[in-house]
Amino acid sequence: MNKRKVKILLFLCALVSVLFVGCYSNNCPLNNIVTCNYSFYDAEGNAIIYTDTITVTTLKPGYKTVYVYRKLGEPTVTKNYQDIELVNQGYTETKMSQRNDTVLLNRAYDQSNISIPMSYFNNVDTLIFSYGQIALKDTIKIYHYSYPHVELPECGTYRFHTLRNIEASDAAIDHIEISNPQVGYEGNENVKIYFNGVIE
Amino acid sequence: MKRNFLHIIVVAIICFLCQPLLAQEQNDNEPLMPGETPKPTKYVAVEQEDEYLVFFQGFTLSADVFGLLQYAISDYGALEAALRLNLKNTYFPIAEVGYGRCHTNDFNTKVQYKVNAPYLRLGFDYNVLKDKFQDNRLYLGLRYGISMFNYNISGPAMTDPIWGGSAAFDIDGINCTSHWGEVVFGAEVKIYRNFHMSWAVRYKREFSSTKSDYAKPSCIPGYGYTTKSNCWGGSYSLIFDLNWGKKKSHKRGVKVELIDVPSAETEVERFDNEETEEQEQKLNIEDTQANNETGNSANGADSNEGDSGEETQE
Repeated sequence: MNKRKVKILLFLCALVSVLFVGCYSNNCPLNNIVTCNYSFYDAEGNAIIYTDTITVTTLKPGYKTVYVYRKLGEPTVTKNYQDIELVNQGYTETKMSQRNDTVLLNRAYDQSNISIPMSYFNNVDTLIFSYGQIALKDTIKIYHYSYPHVELPECGTYRFHTLRNIEASDAAIDHIEISNPQVGYEGNENVKIYFNGVIE
Repeated sequence: MKRNFLHIIVVAIICFLCQPLLAQEQNDNEPLMPGETPKPTKYVAVEQEDEYLVFFQGFTLSADVFGLLQYAISDYGALEAALRLNLKNTYFPIAEVGYGRCHTNDFNTKVQYKVNAPYLRLGFDYNVLKDKFQDNRLYLGLRYGISMFNYNISGPAMTDPIWGGSAAFDIDGINCTSHWGEVVFGAEVKIYRNFHMSWAVRYKREFSSTKSDYAKPSCIPGYGYTTKSNCWGGSYSLIFDLNWGKKKSHKRGVKVELIDVPSAETEVERFDNEETEEQEQKLNIEDTQANNETGNSANGADSNEGDSGEETQE
């Protein structure tokens, strides 16, 4: 075997090795946050940007203990645990029992849609919508079924949901409907919220 | 004296008996007379012996060793056997049946995936080597694979970060049917008598799988991992030829072809043509001979007249 043949053979071996060796990559989703996506519309179904501030709070069962620290001339501090340092600084400590509610979205404005997480093990999620310019609040109840979802074992486990029913009060909301009951990490629109009034 | 006489008689009888043969030879060599039809020339059929492969060459059984080794060193493996037909040592319809097993436990996510199920692949190989008589083969092939299976998936406890609560999950018996295709390229060599071995590289592409809300199958028996919609695989098979011996495994036939055997009609036509040509040639020769004879006779007369003149002058 002459040198030229050896060179050709080595080149072919290198070519085959390059073809067969590749970077390892998996098909795990990049956007892996499971949220229920709400889009805003006016009463006639036109897509709108809601300019008012919206705060979404969820009701959680039970109560929790909080510690409230007050000092003259200083803002009130509320903590879920006891803070001795604040007491040493002259704050007065008050132990209180509070609802276990949680803020899911804090003062969002100029939004055309919002994304809210859903509970893993509850069949009903209750959301309180608070507005900046409207004193009343809206309550939305979402009935859903949750189940684990594994795209690939190396990607971990997610919790997907199937919406079954949705209800809303009528402070600022005209009506509400489910557009896509499957809630995953694809980012599809799941719920349409129709606010009072019509865009001009 | 008597002896010589008997000897002469015996020779005369032998000559008499051989006379027809000598006459035949003379007749064959003799030119045809006008109006005489020539006898057809005898054409002897030349047998050309050309070896060819009989259509059905038998069938083979094979077992995949690569699947067993793969299972020993990884989470996925398969026990596979194949039945293959041999048609003219060129086309090989094949049915591969196997039992795939996949038990994965991801180190990071602690998610476990289990599947044990049979699978079936149907397809054919094509021997691309020019010499079909030899025992070694280089082949390209296509496969269609199907597997109907139930898989289990389980994972660690999931904790709800907002509403609280925690629960593990273990889902059994998720039903799934998968279809896929393969392009196979491989080589097969003879080891000893009717034992062969072959290696093959397989490019696999998943066509479809039944979707489930819980999980998609991360590993399909007979296909492999479904991290992507396509993947590479391989096989190393030990093949046993069910036909004992080479003669049976590679049946050769002898195809006899008759060459230069003109049909009866073409012979007759050819003979007629030859006959007419020969007759024409003979007639031409006779004419020329007749002309020559008449010319010679005239010249002879003239010479005779001259002679007579001379004689008269004399």
